Amino acid sequence: MKTKNKSMIILFLAPSVLLYLMVFLYPTARTVVMSFFKVEGVTDSVSLWKFNGLGNFKTLFNTPLFVSSLKNIALIWLIGGIGVMVVSLLFGVILTSGVHGKSFFRSVIYLPNVISAVAMGTMWINYVYNPDFGLLSSVLKSIGLSKLAATQWTSPEMVFWSMLVAYCFGMVGYHMLIWMSGIERIPVDYYEAATIEGANVFQRFSKITLPLLKGVCRTNIVLWTVSTMAFFVWSQLFSPVNLSASTVTPMSYMYELVFGASNSAVTVRDSGAGAAIGVILTIVVVVVFMLSQLIVKNDDVEL
Amino acid sequence: MKEKKIREKNNWKKEMALAPGYIIVGIWVIFTFVLIGWIILASFSTTREIFDGNIFKFATGLHPENYVKAWKTQKVSSYFMNSLLYTAVSCTAVIILGAPAAYVLSRFKFRGNGLIQNLFATALGIPAIMIIMPLFSLFSQLHMNQSKGLVIFLYIAVNLPFTIFFLNTFFRNLSVTFEEAAAIDGCSPMKTFWTIMLPLAQPGIITVSIFNFITIWNEYFISLIFANTAKTRPVAVGLYAMIQSMRYTGDWGGMFAAVVIVFLPTFLLYIFLSEKIIAGVTGGAIKG
Repeated sequence: MKTKNKSMIILFLAPSVLLYLMVFLYPTARTVVMSFFKVEGVTDSVSLWKFNGLGNFKTLFNTPLFVSSLKNIALIWLIGGIGVMVVSLLFGVILTSGVHGKSFFRSVIYLPNVISAVAMGTMWINYVYNPDFGLLSSVLKSIGLSKLAATQWTSPEMVFWSMLVAYCFGMVGYHMLIWMSGIERIPVDYYEAATIEGANVFQRFSKITLPLLKGVCRTNIVLWTVSTMAFFVWSQLFSPVNLSASTVTPMSYMYELVFGASNSAVTVRDSGAGAAIGVILTIVVVVVFMLSQLIVKNDDVEL
Repeated sequence: MKEKKIREKNNWKKEMALAPGYIIVGIWVIFTFVLIGWIILASFSTTREIFDGNIFKFATGLHPENYVKAWKTQKVSSYFMNSLLYTAVSCTAVIILGAPAAYVLSRFKFRGNGLIQNLFATALGIPAIMIIMPLFSLFSQLHMNQSKGLVIFLYIAVNLPFTIFFLNTFFRNLSVTFEEAAAIDGCSPMKTFWTIMLPLAQPGIITVSIFNFITIWNEYFISLIFANTAKTRPVAVGLYAMIQSMRYTGDWGGMFAAVVIVFLPTFLLYIFLSEKIIAGVTGGAIKG
């Protein structure tokens, strides 16, 4: 429109843009710079920073706990990702196949997303995984698997998988909704034509649904990456006292390095390394985003 | 007519084909109900009954005093009020700041429009870890850390990009004829926005506010760093602190009561507004 609106544009945009510059742009830039410096305390003034080149990154990759955290986050991303994507796609397909009570099922499956992760985690740890009266052990006992029922689900050997299952349970609903919105955009005539031609459920799924969901698949992968890179609360919930190699993630390790609350002697305050962790996670997100753009071209149904 | 007959005949067959689907989804749904139902029942029981596995009998009656205990002695009331304050103020401010910005971005052509939209979109992918350290350093120099005002400020700023992004699409779908008619009647663009366009955007504003409410109510990381004192803690961080202490004192009934108090507001909101929330998820996420 006309330049007459200039003052309005500036007035309407200025507060949001200023907040953005202050809370997103400036901190991100400063964190990137910080990752190349030796910085002990997070509140240290810039005059105390010492240039360290890639030293922070080198230190990190030589720290066993950080390497464990990378291994954990990779497993969460890959195994959890495959699990969540398969289950959520399955649910999406089931709920769009004409079942009764679709919106009821959909609401219940999405429900964990609106509940505080701390509350959800507490339910899992203190009820589902409880060895005395827990859901898992009583169900296993009732079907006669008393040996399996005696498993300590939150013991060091099992805690990672227990944590992953609890986390993924909550994520399924969100990704299911995204799959569903994609499936519902596929024209019904495709399926009708295929049915007339004699295609069965599996053929219709693999020949119509799946190829047309590439764009939605990309969205799901990017969103999954963004949320798993921030994996933090669950790690704290499952190992509340000290960091442990089985549940540590880059975020929780960074929290210890920078704001160090636990008494573990493993960590010395090192904010430069904390910043380096942030840079690494951001690079992962950007790389996944770009790869997904490259691999899955947006050639499916109009979204 | 013939078609209808065929369809009826196929109905049974169709339902049978769907049976595995019902079973799979049904198990998941039952599990969710058991999980939440058990916690609610346990919150009315005693620690002893919980450990004996007798929570369904209520042999010693209901124990609402768990809630009283959690609310009073464990300071849930204070955390709850903090969260209420944080969400109410931030949700309102985000709309007051975000709606005009989204409107301008969706309606006016000017240099930098695309760039600003991209900036806000990028913010959706920036991990919190990238912004937390400089902000902590900045606000501790200003002696503002651990204050209620700061948390609210951060919640507003952090939730702005999503709000703008969401409302942008919403304004885009509103017809320009409203503005044209208003302009002919001599209404200034700014007045048109506040009196005509903003009320028209109400459904979008409500949806995005529900989202912001849920996000801020459940927010953990920012408040862990910026509001982790007994006076400023919101529910998520407060609950975490409480659980750690209650597990050691062995008050399980009280612990589950605290869990229920914390998830109740978003849970109730969801029961009434789930359709709207679900429509918003897919509307907002698909282009992200």
